[in-house]
Amino acid sequence: MPLVMAFVMPIVYLVPVTMFAEPTDERPLDLTFNISATIVGGNITDVSIKDLRLIDVNLTNSVVTGCIIEGCDVSRSIVFDSFIVESRINSTLVVHSNLENTARIDSVLDRCVVIGEINEAEKFLKVFIDSLLMFFILIPAVIPTVIASYSFVGEKINKSLEPLLATPTTDTELLAGKSISIFLPTMLVTWASLVPFVILVDIIVQPVIGYYPLPNLIWLVGVFILAPLFCILSILINMLISSKVSDVRASQQIGGLVVLPVVAFFIIAIAGLVTLDFVLMAGFILLTAAIDVGVFYVSLKVFRREEILVRWK
Amino acid sequence: MNHLIEAVGLTRNFGSITAVEDLNLIVKDGEVFGFIGPNGAGKTTTVRMLCCLIAPTAGTAYINSLDITNPDDAIKIRGMIGLLPENPGLYESLSAYRNLDFFAQLYGVPKGKRDQRIRDLLTKLDVWDRRDDPIAKFSKGMKQKIAIARALVHEPDFLFLDEPTSGLDPQAAITVRNYLLDLKKEGRTIFLNTHNLDDAQRICDRVGIIQRRILAVGSADDLAHKFWGRTTLVKLKKITPEIIAAVNALPFVRSVHENENTIAIDVENPENDNPLIVRSLINAGAEVEFVEELRRGLEEIYLRLVGGIR
Repeated sequence: MPLVMAFVMPIVYLVPVTMFAEPTDERPLDLTFNISATIVGGNITDVSIKDLRLIDVNLTNSVVTGCIIEGCDVSRSIVFDSFIVESRINSTLVVHSNLENTARIDSVLDRCVVIGEINEAEKFLKVFIDSLLMFFILIPAVIPTVIASYSFVGEKINKSLEPLLATPTTDTELLAGKSISIFLPTMLVTWASLVPFVILVDIIVQPVIGYYPLPNLIWLVGVFILAPLFCILSILINMLISSKVSDVRASQQIGGLVVLPVVAFFIIAIAGLVTLDFVLMAGFILLTAAIDVGVFYVSLKVFRREEILVRWK
Repeated sequence: MNHLIEAVGLTRNFGSITAVEDLNLIVKDGEVFGFIGPNGAGKTTTVRMLCCLIAPTAGTAYINSLDITNPDDAIKIRGMIGLLPENPGLYESLSAYRNLDFFAQLYGVPKGKRDQRIRDLLTKLDVWDRRDDPIAKFSKGMKQKIAIARALVHEPDFLFLDEPTSGLDPQAAITVRNYLLDLKKEGRTIFLNTHNLDDAQRICDRVGIIQRRILAVGSADDLAHKFWGRTTLVKLKKITPEIIAAVNALPFVRSVHENENTIAIDVENPENDNPLIVRSLINAGAEVEFVEELRRGLEEIYLRLVGGIR
């Protein structure tokens, strides 16, 4: 099922977006400069300048023609036929110029090329691709609701638990053994489904944005650190529930609630209300790891061989 | 090695219900001990306590001098016992071999010995040819055989068997019973929960009759002697009033009953008394055909104890 979803999700989510996207034109205007001098630092106000290289200059109420502007603050000015790099423009009219990595406030661009700016399609695709990471965190959280919820209560029903509990295994070994036996297949399925997913996403999205978006570091951290931690959390909670109830369906229904926080985050990510970055991921990882440790400790404390046997249906 | 099971005031309550009350018991090394009683008498609860699966509410028990209430001892105890629960509880999708191999691993049987051990057990139980079949395809009797093999896979010092022949057809029950007799010959200490009195009588050295509390412990003969004394049966060609009077006149005779040509004489010590009885009968003109001791079955003892309470 996860493998099928890995093929379906990119097609359903990303293909429609790419169909309406416009290719990004990142080619700068072919400008010719005839630089006569370089000005570094200082304040320039109420002047008309031409053919200069300005570095770290505060430029106000001026008219600029044929200049290269680097790291400058330009406000209430008019700029013609120039190249503005890593600067800030405020209430300025820019005509027939190249802008690269430049922040704009209340400014107007006329026949300019903005280099390095993400166009709307790419922004949209990035939100969608980020939100699909949640899918790979959902898979390892959902699969244990089926397998782990069966772990103890299923053995209870098959009457195979009594001989198992009569062996010299400790509670820790029993919980760890069952957890590992659920964790490994779950994560293998998750990682296996990641491969076609990444290939498919790259094939679909690359022609639109001009590069291969996956795998990236956020995704690798998400799939190889956060997803296993969520898997462990889901396993532990579902096993805990499984050892406390006496019916598989009850165990699955209660255990299924563990995926709700992931689903909630999935919806928030799709809505574009949060952007996945390293701070958010680190926070999630630390929080999930802490909850994992806590739930494992609680599981050991409340695990009672006797309780499982005497409440046997 | 001091191989024995000793229960001291073992008690288990489930809420307000007392399942086992003040159980005091000793099972000797190499003994097959039968634990008999009606449903709900506390047999399974006792076995679960002795196997460290559930804790006693009061009292304790020692398995090979290890205390069942001590968590560290409990792990050691579980490693030295084999348990056949009331239900075989095998993994249905796994083969017979994989079931045994899995448990052998859990019991820490070394890898080099596992295969031979499993081969020996399955061969002895006559299921080696079907070792690769999934358990789901096995009959109930075969599953019980595999479950017995599982209990023995780590060569335990003590074997706890809970209703080993329950629900089996006669042929399967005979196979299982014969295997238990083989185990007895091997000198294993076996604790056998059963309400099959015939099995208990045939297999067990001693039995304990339980109905929440222990009602009696001993061999079938000891228990019969305890409750009825000993009775000598004498079959004669013909019974006359003179013969009855001659027997009644003997000082050690407690009572005499006649039935057709047989007289039943209750005595204290037949080994000493029987020659005197026979001489007295002959002197009274009786012609003696047979002299034997009246043997009462476990069923009679059980019904007297358990039925009386009911």
